[in-house]
Amino acid sequence: MTLAALVSVPAPVFSQQGADHDGNAARLLSPDKVVVMVFLRRDCPISSRYAPVIQKISKTYSDRAKFFLVFPDKTDSAEDIQKYLSDYHYSLPAFPDPEHTLAKLGHVQITPEVAVFSDRRLVYDGRIDDWYIEPGRARAAPTTHELKDALDAALAGKAPARAEVRGVGCYISDLE
Amino acid sequence: MIRIHWLVIGVSVALAAQDSKPVTFNRDIAPIMFRSCAMCHRPGEAAPFSLLTYSDAKKHARQIADVTRSRAMPPWLPEPQQLKFADEMRLAQAGIDLIQRWVEQGALEGDTKDLPAPPKFVEGWQLGKPDLVLTAKKPLELSPQRTDTYWNFIFPVPITETRWVKAIEIRPGDKRYVHHANILVDRSSASRKREAEPGAGFGGMEIRIESQVFDPDSHLLFWKPGTVPYVEPEGMALRLDKGTDLILNTHLQPSGKPEVIQPSIGLYFTPQAATKLPMLLQLENDVQLDIPPGRKDFLVTDEFTLPVDVDLMAIYPHAHYLGKDIQAFATLPDGTKKTLIHIPHWNLNWQAVYRYTQPVRLPKGTKVSLRYTYDNSDENPLNPNQPPARVVGGNRSRDEMCHLWLQVLPVNFDAALGDPRMALQEALARHNVEKNPGDFEAHYNLAAMLQAKDKLDAAIGEYELAVRLRPEDAAANNALGAALVAAGHPDRGAGYLRTALKARPDYFDAHYNLGFALAGQDDFEGASQQFTLALQLQPDDANVEANLGTALAQMGRFPEAKSHFERALQIDPNQAIAKENLEALRKEVSPY
Ligand code: HEC
Repeated sequence: MTLAALVSVPAPVFSQQGADHDGNAARLLSPDKVVVMVFLRRDCPISSRYAPVIQKISKTYSDRAKFFLVFPDKTDSAEDIQKYLSDYHYSLPAFPDPEHTLAKLGHVQITPEVAVFSDRRLVYDGRIDDWYIEPGRARAAPTTHELKDALDAALAGKAPARAEVRGVGCYISDLE
Repeated sequence: MIRIHWLVIGVSVALAAQDSKPVTFNRDIAPIMFRSCAMCHRPGEAAPFSLLTYSDAKKHARQIADVTRSRAMPPWLPEPQQLKFADEMRLAQAGIDLIQRWVEQGALEGDTKDLPAPPKFVEGWQLGKPDLVLTAKKPLELSPQRTDTYWNFIFPVPITETRWVKAIEIRPGDKRYVHHANILVDRSSASRKREAEPGAGFGGMEIRIESQVFDPDSHLLFWKPGTVPYVEPEGMALRLDKGTDLILNTHLQPSGKPEVIQPSIGLYFTPQAATKLPMLLQLENDVQLDIPPGRKDFLVTDEFTLPVDVDLMAIYPHAHYLGKDIQAFATLPDGTKKTLIHIPHWNLNWQAVYRYTQPVRLPKGTKVSLRYTYDNSDENPLNPNQPPARVVGGNRSRDEMCHLWLQVLPVNFDAALGDPRMALQEALARHNVEKNPGDFEAHYNLAAMLQAKDKLDAAIGEYELAVRLRPEDAAANNALGAALVAAGHPDRGAGYLRTALKARPDYFDAHYNLGFALAGQDDFEGASQQFTLALQLQPDDANVEANLGTALAQMGRFPEAKSHFERALQIDPNQAIAKENLEALRKEVSPY
């Protein structure tokens, strides 16, 4: 289990402008790789149900894209997040985001949603796929795969077909 | 004049003041959450987070506004109607509007003085300590992957005599992962054969439990999130006999991580035997289900006329993922039409048994109708096939179903004419045969019904139709053979019994019946062979031992006969044939 990247003090402090000069941000948004931030709420069942999907896709792209989990709930402690990672068998680096710096950077409002960066630029934000139609109603299997499409496009140096498709799940609380 | 004027102004000022008062959690929202959300949104219950305090609600404020506006929460599918359901969970529009305003205004907390007392819930078993607690022998390991799981747990009931059950509390395991659960009563241990190893349980969304006797003792034993155990009304109770299994049929959803589900059930007994005997009427029309891909409004109907007066107590509609608009209504003999249930947006995940607050009297001659529509287009996001494909009736989750169960209690009947449920069951069986003359089960069930009423010739006719539809079906051939033997035609019966055994060589009943048929033709050698084979399948059956003894005695093999009679009496000291024949041996065949 890789828990090393979990920062236990709130937050990798960086803003869109200052990103280049901040250690954490430099680590997060590397220029030579596609970066995916996955936003999760521990108390959101839809977020949690995506665990195997997120693990599979991050594994498939592990040599070409960096994946991070982001926990934007202000009240999450480092221990809460650690426990969640081990419960759900995640071996991806994770960051708390109590100030919602990353959520704002990724234009994300709902969990689970992803923000895909290519060359430090946000190229896609929104749902992973169309599994859920609304809370309580899910398809037997998804019919669209926005995250995968965005990754393939970004890796091919193209713009994804859609830059934004809102997700179904739980709003990030107190997001201004 | 002036006074009146002043009063009017006063009133309108007061109204305006109230309207402009900001909506607060403590005064306006807490009462709604406590009444309509907390039963599920509290620790240990089905919902993913609690809604008991201001900070709980604040954290989810926007989501709460969304799910109440769309009526996804609280989960409640039926439209409001004249016949009221118990425990209705529907929010009033005023409450929904208040929640929207609360969130728009910034989800304020308000004055703590306004906060009502939090709801009190019973911890642990809801009705106190059960008389008997049964726990699934082997827990199920639930996969974290996307698909839902349908699993059946078997609970053998360790009782030594018939008991009456007043209530059952289902504890389905971690409630967050159980959509719903349903108990079926298996009096024949048939389900155990489906387990890979004893106690393991078995998969499957829809299970059928076959019963060899007319067994209408029918109760809807259902669990969904937020339910408190149902206590049977005065005079009603569920009968449990020695050797009965309870099957818990569960619909489980993945959580994203591996989960272990180990349900238990608590039984509450009553010394009072049931005096009121309800039954389940099933309307259905699965044969009409052949839905072409792309069809948006595929309609299926069924209509049944009640042959006796009944009180309708509860209703349970069921369809799978294509089900859209689900309706049932009753047309009374005087022409009045009552909506029994209407679900405009069916959602299998929130299926439920709905009980009426007052039993609904439906007089003899009432037509009960179901009217379901199905959407097999790609506009139905729950369509299990993308792109849509032809879907027919069946038990798998990607097949469809069109079922409606009604729990009814016959009323105003003449007990001297027998159990009124027989009349209901027979009418239903006839209805099914008429609706669908090619339906094997319809003929089989009608035959069984007629046989139970001792209408042997009519029963044989229906069994023959069933066998014509499925010439190799073991159960139908066995039943037809047995009915022919009972009607005094052992020669004709034996042929069908042999067919049954060809299809299922380890069929205890067919060996037993064939033994009987052969004995009826004085072939005692053949008969004793069949009874011996039956004994190998069920070694502790006193009746078979007695029959084997009799067949052997007929052939003059008295010492063997004697030991079988004795064995029969060991198993059941009251086995009449063994007693009588043993006595006869003693008297007439010295030296016994
Ligand atoms: C019958 C039980 C029950 C009641 C009553 C109930 N809920 Fe829920 N609620 C649930 C369950 C179960 C879930 C999780 C659904 C899932 O797993 O997708 C849930 C989920 C939610 C969610 C998160 C949406 C999601 O799927 O992520 C919100 C918000 C919510 N409920 C609000 C409410 C509110 C507000 C009320 C009262 C007005 C309420 N609920 C009443 C059972 C209930």
